[in-house]
Amino acid sequence: MLRVEHLAKRYGDVLALQELTVDVEAGDCLVLLGRNGAGKTTALRCMAGVLLPSGGRVTVDGIDAAEDPAAVRARVGLMPEVPGLYERMSARAYLDYFGSIYDVEPSLRKRRIDDLLEMFDLADAGDRWLGTFSKGMRQKVALIRATLHRPRLVLADEPTSALDADSARRAWTYLKDLQKDGCALVICTHSMDEAETLAGEIGVMSAGRALAVGSLVELRRASGLKTRQEVIELPTLQDIYLAIVGNHAGNRDELAETRTA
Amino acid sequence: MSWPKLEPRKAALVARRDLRDATSELRLIAAMVALTLAIPLASGSGVRTLAAFGGGTAVVNRLALVGAFFVVFIPASFSLVLALESFVGERERTTLEVLLSTPLREAEIYAGKVAAVLAVSLTLCYGGLIVYCLVTFPGLGYFPLAILLALALSTICQVAAMVAGAVIISLNARTMRAANVMASFIILPMSVVLQAEAALILVGRAEFLWAFAVLMALLAVVFLRMGLAGFSREALLSREVGLRHPLQRALGAVRASFEHRPAFLQLLWMRREPILIAAAGFPIGALAGYLAGLTSAVPSGVVRPVLTSLVHSAGAGSAFADAVAIFSHNVLAFVLVAALAVLTAGLSGFFLTFAPGFILGFVAALSSWAFALSGILPNGLVEIPAAIIAGGLAIQIGAAAIHMDGRGSWSGRVLAAFADYVRALRWLVPALAVASLLEVFLG
Repeated sequence: MLRVEHLAKRYGDVLALQELTVDVEAGDCLVLLGRNGAGKTTALRCMAGVLLPSGGRVTVDGIDAAEDPAAVRARVGLMPEVPGLYERMSARAYLDYFGSIYDVEPSLRKRRIDDLLEMFDLADAGDRWLGTFSKGMRQKVALIRATLHRPRLVLADEPTSALDADSARRAWTYLKDLQKDGCALVICTHSMDEAETLAGEIGVMSAGRALAVGSLVELRRASGLKTRQEVIELPTLQDIYLAIVGNHAGNRDELAETRTA
Repeated sequence: MSWPKLEPRKAALVARRDLRDATSELRLIAAMVALTLAIPLASGSGVRTLAAFGGGTAVVNRLALVGAFFVVFIPASFSLVLALESFVGERERTTLEVLLSTPLREAEIYAGKVAAVLAVSLTLCYGGLIVYCLVTFPGLGYFPLAILLALALSTICQVAAMVAGAVIISLNARTMRAANVMASFIILPMSVVLQAEAALILVGRAEFLWAFAVLMALLAVVFLRMGLAGFSREALLSREVGLRHPLQRALGAVRASFEHRPAFLQLLWMRREPILIAAAGFPIGALAGYLAGLTSAVPSGVVRPVLTSLVHSAGAGSAFADAVAIFSHNVLAFVLVAALAVLTAGLSGFFLTFAPGFILGFVAALSSWAFALSGILPNGLVEIPAAIIAGGLAIQIGAAAIHMDGRGSWSGRVLAAFADYVRALRWLVPALAVASLLEVFLG
């Protein structure tokens, strides 16, 4: 579904992303972890066909993002970190606008909008201007917008960062349902709970590089942590992440070798 | 030069949303209605009052025309604000990335936004003009239909040119404040254009206004084309990260702009399109000058002192001093044209060939082509090609200034264009020296 090979992105003289290689099959979920400025957002934008790679290649459904970015964008649903909603539009009108941009048939569009607003407890607020929405409500609308056209690939940057625990769980369930329908997911997050809940594979990024990519088990092995300190149980993703990123700060070259494809 | 592909339905979607956004605020609607109704009502009533109190017919008629001009122009200025806001406003409200992540093509987003601004502005302009005509002209015994139609056409084109220019600024600005400051690049040239239009209206000859409208139409098409070609998702979302060591970065950029540049002949081939545009400036100028001379468009009171001072300055001293004066005048013109190229989006380059062409055509209309050509030969054989090359490279500087491209920085592109100009001067300045000697000793 999504194939990223040696992806690099340069802004002026700053190399924001280098040598990123990942594969995400239909129905799989890749979670990208990393500090702020690690290159996660740039990676998502390149995967979405919004930014052109400075090096390497991105293909979605076999379509090269550099050759036909519009076709890639039509297959992708991008949810940026900031919801970016039009304040003086109602939620329904807003979703309808984006649905029509993605050529979703009007009656299907209306049905999906109603269903999703209902699912995310927004049915009553659907005719209110988005400017009056809370942060969490905005994030829900952004998630609905990114998935309304049933994309083949959903790219979400911190999709639940503003949601309460219950809403976040509902969003995860929704994303898992999309996965079951064959949609591939790439999610950037700082929430280890979210990563553990959704991820099939996890990529740990730092300074524009992927330090490690693999399943939780593979990363646990790569991190060298056998059991969690003090308590006799497996190390959590939080422990693994800190071990990988912490080691990277200490010895970048050594850790690059632990990267698993 | 091909136009980018676009699906009108998709562009209409963007236009409809922007239109709804522009008209969703009560204060905005109130301002629009006031502009459309109050100003034309007041102006029209003023003209009628003057007529009723026995103002002279000529004065009333002229005032009626000038009133129409103001009624149309004031709402047109509104378009500038909307157009400036179109992209940079979305960027500030963080909605731009979402729009750019859709399958909409660049041309569809651009066309939709331009169409929305044009729809609002033109509705206001024509609404105002209709109200003004209804209030002013019935019973006045004067209805200059040809002039009003020409005014209507030139208004569309002026608004389109302003909107297209403002959208280019909006695409390039990072903040609304920066966009407002950069809007001076539109307001200042536009104010000159409007003064010219006001003068033509006062002259009261429709043919000049039609010619003016055609010129504005061309300008609008060029600006729209530039905006379409220059709109890049990549450039809108990419940013130059970091401002460390700004002076070193600037010096490094200047140094880099001179490296790996093409040789002179290769440069001429690479820049053949702008050079051809500059070359077209000369015959177009000659034609415009000839028509202006034939129709006495420029009053003799203006022409005579200018031509007299030109003749006097050409023969004021010794032959060598004359050659030096001609040479330094031409070098100064070449330097100014390059300096102004960024501010005028390259139009200064076009005027480098248009202006001498205009003078040639004007003199030909007053005398003959043989007489006029004798004035520019043989030096023109060297001087005009040099001006065409310099003009073309100046147009390229302007194009680099308004073109968006995610690959490389804005400053890098503009500096490279300036570097090409400076390098070309190594050939052009000696050519100007030769031309000045030819003019003095053989002319």
